[in-house]
Amino acid sequence: MTRLTDLPPDQAKRLAEVECPEFKTRPWVTGPALSQRRVAIVSSAGLVLRGQDPFRGRDPHYHAIPATTRLSDLLCSHISINFDRTGLQEDWNVAFPIDRLRELAVEGTIGSMADTHYSFMGATDPLQMEPHARELAGRLRQDKVDSVLLAPV
Amino acid sequence: MSALGHYLEEEGIATVAVVLIRPQAENTKPPRALWVPFELGRPFGPPNHPVFQKRVVVAALGMLVEGDGPVRIIDFPDDDPRARADPVWQPPFMPAAIASSSAESLASRLEAEILLLEGVHRRWMEQHGRSTVGLSGLAIGDCARYVADWLRGKAPPSPRDGFSAPLILRFAVDDLKAYCLEAAGSGSGKPSSPQLTDWFWNETATGAAIRVLREVLQTHEDERLRLIVSNFMVPAARMRAG
Repeated sequence: MTRLTDLPPDQAKRLAEVECPEFKTRPWVTGPALSQRRVAIVSSAGLVLRGQDPFRGRDPHYHAIPATTRLSDLLCSHISINFDRTGLQEDWNVAFPIDRLRELAVEGTIGSMADTHYSFMGATDPLQMEPHARELAGRLRQDKVDSVLLAPV
Repeated sequence: MSALGHYLEEEGIATVAVVLIRPQAENTKPPRALWVPFELGRPFGPPNHPVFQKRVVVAALGMLVEGDGPVRIIDFPDDDPRARADPVWQPPFMPAAIASSSAESLASRLEAEILLLEGVHRRWMEQHGRSTVGLSGLAIGDCARYVADWLRGKAPPSPRDGFSAPLILRFAVDDLKAYCLEAAGSGSGKPSSPQLTDWFWNETATGAAIRVLREVLQTHEDERLRLIVSNFMVPAARMRAG
């Protein structure tokens, strides 16, 4: 579980054939050793903080999740109902591995963890996300982040 | 995810995407992607298994400093060790009158069931200290009443400023699902997600009510409501009982 062959055929076909953007460039950023990297998580799970306005459908913007956020204040407002939620109900790290990243920073495997992480709503058209993603890059640079772990759901 | 990686990398930030749908990564061609063979919704593996989760995170981050690209897509080698059913797990006790009675309307059974699960969900809160219920902003009893009223043929107005009635209905349904599934996960054992969702969709009044609500409202005159109930309440694999 779960390869596409494990899903209902219609769902598997739909997922495999989702229209993906074609890019003309092939960027490839290198950097220092992992032990010197500052890493942020960017999730596509539609995460919001309790009390914030949830994602309403396919909103292209993102929400900020400070690293100090209590996990009891996280909510998942992703529009899709076709993925398991029982895992993240029990442990957010199955989709938003902030505790694991923090441990890797303490152990010295990575240099440090970002002060703020972020979440988009992954069912959004990627082309509509583009300006928000490029604006997000500026915020990441302000936080001295040089590497991002992209976490799906 | 893969497209976000492309945009961020163009802006000078190194990225690695964990991906669950390999063909999408193959089509989008992100700089780096780690495909994981796990259930949708669990890209870093099983809950409460920090050793396994960390292996996934380290495998992904390692791609930032290893190998040549672009484009580099590699496969995580291991399956989720908690994908198997747990024979020890038992669902919450549901009296026959609630689980199978046809004497009451489905709406009333939904409300009664949510009330009945209160003690079990309290145990979840004691075990975990948190809940993922809360998108609607309503108390769980009010969520049940709101959904039940739609089922009774009323069209209750939105109780929350700035949220349309169809949107609140969607979030109330999300909250009811989360409440029931958390309650079911509070007992002994480590149930797999199919065990929990089989129970929810096949054995609870709440699951049956959501499924019937979808059928009833699919012909509603409000186009937005039809869109929400048709696509965002019942998973494709659960359109029919069983």
